[in-house]
Amino acid sequence: MMPERYAVLPCNGLDKAVGPLAREIAQVVVEACRGELVCPVLYNNIPALYAKALELPLIVIDGCGTRCASKLAAEHTLKVARKLQVAEALKETGESAGEGLTPDAPRLALCRLLAERLLSAPEEAVALDTDAGFAEPAEYATVTHDKFIFRIPLQGYLFDENHCWARVAGNRVRVGISDYMQQELGDLTFCEPPQMGAEVGQFDAVGSVESVKAVADIISPVSGRVVAVNPAVAESPEIINEDPYGRGWVAELELRDLEGDRALLLDGDGYLALVRQKAADYRP
Amino acid sequence: MSDDTFMGVPREKIPWYPTIDYSKCDFCMECDKFCPHRVYERREGEVKLVVAHPEHCVVFCRACAKTCGPDALSFPSKPETIELIKRLRAEAEGHDA
Repeated sequence: MMPERYAVLPCNGLDKAVGPLAREIAQVVVEACRGELVCPVLYNNIPALYAKALELPLIVIDGCGTRCASKLAAEHTLKVARKLQVAEALKETGESAGEGLTPDAPRLALCRLLAERLLSAPEEAVALDTDAGFAEPAEYATVTHDKFIFRIPLQGYLFDENHCWARVAGNRVRVGISDYMQQELGDLTFCEPPQMGAEVGQFDAVGSVESVKAVADIISPVSGRVVAVNPAVAESPEIINEDPYGRGWVAELELRDLEGDRALLLDGDGYLALVRQKAADYRP
Repeated sequence: MSDDTFMGVPREKIPWYPTIDYSKCDFCMECDKFCPHRVYERREGEVKLVVAHPEHCVVFCRACAKTCGPDALSFPSKPETIELIKRLRAEAEGHDA
C-alpha cells in the first residue's frame, strides 16, 4: 500500500549537526510518500508559495530542542499530523549526531530508519470526545499578594511542587499548570504539548510553555501514557492564562500508578500552603 | 522559607542541577540567557561559564538542556532523585516521630 502523501516542514539548522540529519530525514520522507517539501526559510518569507502543498497533512521535523520548525508551524496555525525531534530520537536510539555537518554512512542509514518509523507509526487520534469527569472546579481558595490573586481549587486536584496539577477521572488524568505558574510566567506565547502515546514517568516533562519572559517545562505530577493533547492550547496558549485549571489543560494521560504517585503530591490544602509561602516573596 | 525546601526536603540535600561537559561546551551562553533562575554565571578566562548557583536550579527542570546545541548539559537521573527524596522524607518523618 502506498503511504499517504504528506507535506514536510523540516528544521533548517544547517549550523548544527542535527540540522542536516533533519533535512536528510525530510528528503527521505518526501521521496517515500511522494510528498511536498516545505522550505522553512522560504515559507517564513512567502507563505503563499506553499498554500497548495500545505493542503496535505503535515509532518514537522525539528532538529534540536529550540523546535524552530514546530514554532513556525504554530505561528501559521498549521495542524501537525506527525512530528519528530531528531535530537530526542537520537537519544532514544543511543546515537549521537556525530561530528561535523555532513552525515556519515551510519547516520544516513539511521535517517532512513527514522524516516520509515515516522511514516509507519500509527497516527493516534486525539481523543477529545469527552470532557466527562473533567468539569471546571466548583470553588477556589485564593491567596492575595499586592494586586495579585492566586486561585487554588481545593477539591479534586493534586499538585506537585513544580506548580503543575493533575485532575483524575476514572483511570484518566488531565494535567496542566497552576494559576500561580501562569501568572509568574506572564502572557504565554507558545505551548508545546507532549507526544501522543508517550510514556511519562512521575515528574517527567509533559511538554512546555513559553512566555515573553521564560520557558518552563510542564512537570507531570503523575505517571502514565499520553492519550490526548489539548489542541486548543497549542493553537491559543492564552487559554492557559485565562483558565489554567479548566480549558487550559495540556495533556490527558492514562494512569499507571496513582497510589504510588500520590505519596509525593500535595492536595489542594497542601498546595494552598505552598502558594502562601511563595506569594510572600512574589516578585512578578 | 519555602525556597529552601522541596517536597519537605532541604534543597541542598537534593543534588539536582546541570553539569557542564566542557569538552562539548562552546560557550554560546544560550543556557545562561535562557535560565531565569540565575543558575549559571559567566567568567573571564578559559572557562567562560560555570554552574555558580546549583541551589537555584528548579528540581526536575531540564529546560536549559534543550537550548544546548552541542548537548553539553546533563542532569542526575530523575528516578534516583525521586528515590532519594522519598528516603530523606522517610528519615525526616522518623525523626519527628
